Amino acid sequence: MRLLQVRDLQTHLHLRRGVLRPVDGVSLDVDEGETLGLVGESGSGKTMTGLSLLRLLPKGAGRIAGGSIQLDGRELTSLSEREMARSVRGRLIAMIAQDPMTSLNPVWSIGTQVMTPMRVHGIESGARLRAAAAEILRRVRIPSAEKRLPDYPHQFSGGQRQRIVTAMAIGSSPRLLIADEPTTALDVTIQAQIIALLRRIQTETGAGIILITHDLGVAASLCHRIAVMYAGRIVEQGPVRSVYRKPAHPYTQALLAAIPRLGAGSDRLTAIPGQPPSLAELPSGCRFAPSCPHRMAVCDTYPPETEIGDDHRAACWLHARPN
Amino acid sequence: MLQIESLTKHYQTRRGTVRAVEDVSFGIGEGETVALVGESGCGKSTIAKLVLLLERPTSGRVLFEGNDVRRLDRSALRAYRRTVQAVFQDPYSSLNPRMRVGAIIAEPIMAHAQLSRTDLQREIARALDVVGLPQTASRLYPHEFSGGQRQRVAIARALALRPRMIVLDEPVSALDVSIRAQVLNLLADIQREFTLTYLVIAHDLALVEHFSTRVAVIYLGRLVEAGPTREVFAAPRHPYTRALLDAVPIPDPDHPLAVSEQAGEPASALDPPPGCHFHPRCPLALAICRETAPILMGDRHQAACHLLTEEPAR
Repeated sequence: MRLLQVRDLQTHLHLRRGVLRPVDGVSLDVDEGETLGLVGESGSGKTMTGLSLLRLLPKGAGRIAGGSIQLDGRELTSLSEREMARSVRGRLIAMIAQDPMTSLNPVWSIGTQVMTPMRVHGIESGARLRAAAAEILRRVRIPSAEKRLPDYPHQFSGGQRQRIVTAMAIGSSPRLLIADEPTTALDVTIQAQIIALLRRIQTETGAGIILITHDLGVAASLCHRIAVMYAGRIVEQGPVRSVYRKPAHPYTQALLAAIPRLGAGSDRLTAIPGQPPSLAELPSGCRFAPSCPHRMAVCDTYPPETEIGDDHRAACWLHARPN
Repeated sequence: MLQIESLTKHYQTRRGTVRAVEDVSFGIGEGETVALVGESGCGKSTIAKLVLLLERPTSGRVLFEGNDVRRLDRSALRAYRRTVQAVFQDPYSSLNPRMRVGAIIAEPIMAHAQLSRTDLQREIARALDVVGLPQTASRLYPHEFSGGQRQRVAIARALALRPRMIVLDEPVSALDVSIRAQVLNLLADIQREFTLTYLVIAHDLALVEHFSTRVAVIYLGRLVEAGPTREVFAAPRHPYTRALLDAVPIPDPDHPLAVSEQAGEPASALDPPPGCHFHPRCPLALAICRETAPILMGDRHQAACHLLTEEPAR
């Protein structure tokens, strides 16, 4: 079942030095029980895409300038801020934030922080609230959950804090979870535990997940489908196997060739020349063209998204039929 | 070239003694790249600081070409500081934002030698050239560069004194994936060109395998396994090394991570477990592991694990 459908999403940031377009025509779908990996480098627009879905853009500067976001067939872009806050944000769509050191309030007990979203959204109240908070902490495997409700964030390890942030997000049984680099701040053995936790949570709840990450290994371990972002646009998306086995866009190919792999020996890495363009000075055509080994004259025009395999699309003139 | 002997570093805090580094020994040969790996707080950065003389060891020695670096006289000490340079993780905080790139590169040169203006300019130009930055870069400030270019500036600064060894503390982990390969290739090129020796601190095991010739795995301040990187990664002897390797997500959807949610977390260096520090997380722990710390065994490929003597490892 289709859970989320995003079409031609445009997000603008109005700054003193002009208007930036961090999300510039993004279309993507997430099914129930599916994990979509939104992969890209810093500044590619993946976090801005996630924040746009929650309508949590920087106050005053950020604005959704076009496109549509439908959750279960309900259009979100036209909802009032009040409706968004009451029935969508933290309720139907919840976010697992990047850094549990900064996303947990250091002067509130863990119990209060886990109970607050449940209370605000009217999921539990009164005497049952405490029990529900303990239960949700048990689900993310915090040992002696009940006893630890009065403890503060600094009394937990980094991995446990990430579990608590996850507990806060799933407390309202959301349909869609947006996990923004949920393991980036963690050590590799703890990262593996959180990956296992997210897999289990998805099996138990059937929620759709958008995993925002720059780590192609983490994406391969968790995702069913992959969308690769570059300079505000999705350049390629498709089933995870298809994208990793037969990457069609030269940027995806370059990204996969640039990472060292365990067991691959010490051959020279294939570096990507240059660097991603600044959002303030985007090329008019394909944004990867300045770094692309296959650059052609036609790349001065932005390429259309072309179907190159089953549910696998890429925006590149190598695959498009010029008309 | 560099020999670390029974290096130990304890920090006294209000809550007790933090045993950051415990009796660690290893050597680095000329032109080699030795990687220190382990999780945050395991003591790998402390070892780097001890090598760079930014910290004083509680006990043990750092020998450079056979000489104890703490017993060097003034001029030998200056020579050591010139010979061993460092590149740190975050090029946003390791470069002074108020200095131009030319001055950043000139600073270590001027601290060690009296050069004429033209000679100094020539040295700056040489360093920029080696790292692939244009000469015009010397007049710009760090904020005018991207992360990858800033790391090139940091490498140029390290190279300015023509060192023989560079300590690389997480040299690419603050950089984007596409930029990492550029910087790693640059480090490999200059190593070949100037016969540099690298001590690299890293948590990315795929990078360590790609980049290093030998590896030392640290757990809670102790060396648990060391040897040629290829051998250690192909046939790890310590269960911790195996757990680390198993936890690396492979960028291949046909090899999904097979890990459990509850493999425990490292204990605190304030209160490390008795016996083998890893035993509370070890799937193969024996009774002896809870009581006696294993000693490092082996020649080229060493490991400290009771399983190596008690029964064949898995």
